[in-house]
Amino acid sequence: MVRRSSRLGSTLLHGALALWILLASTPIVWTAVISFRQYVDAFSTPVKWLAPFTLENYTRLWIDQAFYVNFANTAIVTAGTVTISLTVGCLAGYALARYRGSLGFWLLLVALVFRALPHSTLLPSFFTLFNALGINNHLLTLIFVLVAINQPFTIWMLRSFFVNIPQELDEAAMVDGCTRAQAFRRVIVPVMWPGIITTGLFSFLLAYNDFLLSSALTNAGNMTMPAAIASAIGAESEALLMQGVAGAVSITLPLVVLVVFFQRQIVSGLTQGAVKG
Amino acid sequence: MKTRSFLSFVAPSVVLMLGLMAVPLLLTFYLSTRHCAPEMEMVTVRQSGPFGTQETVTQQVRKGPDGQPLQSCRFVGLEYYQKVLGLDRGAVLQDSGKAGESSSSGAAEVSSAAGKPAAVANEFWSALRFTLLYIALTTPLVLGLGFALALGASVLTQRLKAVFITASLLPFIITPVVGALSIKWLFRDDGLVSVLLAQFGGQVHWMAQAWSAQLLVILYGVWHVVPFAFIVLYAGLQSVPQDALEAATIDGASRWQKLRYVTVPHLMPLIVFVTLIHVMDAYRVFEPVLVLTQGAFTTSVQYLTYHVLLVENNPYKASAAAVLTVLGIGLLLVPLLRRTWREQRGQV
Repeated sequence: MVRRSSRLGSTLLHGALALWILLASTPIVWTAVISFRQYVDAFSTPVKWLAPFTLENYTRLWIDQAFYVNFANTAIVTAGTVTISLTVGCLAGYALARYRGSLGFWLLLVALVFRALPHSTLLPSFFTLFNALGINNHLLTLIFVLVAINQPFTIWMLRSFFVNIPQELDEAAMVDGCTRAQAFRRVIVPVMWPGIITTGLFSFLLAYNDFLLSSALTNAGNMTMPAAIASAIGAESEALLMQGVAGAVSITLPLVVLVVFFQRQIVSGLTQGAVKG
Repeated sequence: MKTRSFLSFVAPSVVLMLGLMAVPLLLTFYLSTRHCAPEMEMVTVRQSGPFGTQETVTQQVRKGPDGQPLQSCRFVGLEYYQKVLGLDRGAVLQDSGKAGESSSSGAAEVSSAAGKPAAVANEFWSALRFTLLYIALTTPLVLGLGFALALGASVLTQRLKAVFITASLLPFIITPVVGALSIKWLFRDDGLVSVLLAQFGGQVHWMAQAWSAQLLVILYGVWHVVPFAFIVLYAGLQSVPQDALEAATIDGASRWQKLRYVTVPHLMPLIVFVTLIHVMDAYRVFEPVLVLTQGAFTTSVQYLTYHVLLVENNPYKASAAAVLTVLGIGLLLVPLLRRTWREQRGQV
């Protein structure tokens, strides 16, 4: 009796878990399926489970609409943001982990407040400032904005990794004649790689996935991929809509690769504490 | 570490946050009390034609020596706040506009004269109302589903578990605007889910009315954040003290009692953590509102600022909305800040 009921329970449980996977993946999988179809096959009543295969949406998007320009912009913005975020964030995170004064506490507290700040509240000032300085619609401007906005999260996360590195390590290096900066560069950074990689992954996601700032601060040839896909939101024409579908899949593919290869780091980052953008 | 070297290590980070967050935030306060409009001037245009000379008086934008249109700016106090909050009777900004109003406020005047003042009013309240509803509905769903998945996943074999976690992570790391679009395409009138539902007699025009459009936004929110709650709580479950569970079993506790009195209390700090992070992020809800409703049936506080800035093209009113948004998150954050205060003070 007991065994039978537990087997039934286990079947139900596996069914429920399978249902979640179905719900979680359907939007992504179905978008990928219809991206290889003509409009009439992608959106039809009744649903067509099988339809002729075409690459037309992709060739239109990548070749005719020059989506590779947006891809290149995203690559530049993401690489720049990750590099600068980590460099600046490591210095601050390390200092916050080692400094005992109350100044560090205040910095962390202010960072936490900034971490919660909705980004759109900064946009009116960004427009005014960047127009006055003549640096509107530059990729470098966007990179620095993204770095600054991600700093609160980055320094909290890196600090939590640095705290786990025993202080004796830098003390030993300094006894051996290193300055604080040398100890940081030669002794601490080499053992910090796991933490740096995990934080880098989250910086990557924050920069890569950003839509609000990218779409507001760039236009024309400087748009990133998420900003460029905005034209599909209210798309009336069939061609534009199907290009949007192909664009959605193009944006998601690198992320799928990322999850498959870095699943462990993402999970460890999520459970680290101060996380999630 | 000495204070001096601490300061030099944190300097780059602090300069960035000051320059691109703190200063802009202060500038937003300043902008929200101002109003600028292009300066207009009356010019007499003399046109000579075959039927004599005609003089007409027209308005045109006054240009500076560099050919740029001149702006006249003035302090307007809380007028834009009144506008955003729907407290404004439309009087002051338009009457005192001696330098001439921009065309956008002229259009607003026309539309309010058309007899729909209620529709323009209360923009911030309606945005805040939906934002709070979104927080209130998604938070328990995210926690409940995440916890259920975390409990369920522990029965999977090691290999299945890796696949399960990878697949679960996808909705969480997907670009939000793309995730919202893919849900939109499922729920279009000719999208997969709509068509399948219609076959079973449940035809709904999902994006054509307020309740279903809002439901889609909430659905998106749950879909997007459940993986986060799941991963964090799943990791927490691995560290539940086994001896406490065994002791409870010996004492005759049922499965439910063990969950209620051992597991949940152990996970409490993580539940609080997930809740706080989710509340902060849910307050910022933007992409699904833009994509799924295009602001037609529902707005959120972030959407309001974005819309006023980029569509109404009014940075001053957008600043007023932004300041109110900041005040809102400030109020929401008070309990969190007090908690961190106590924790960190204890450590330092």
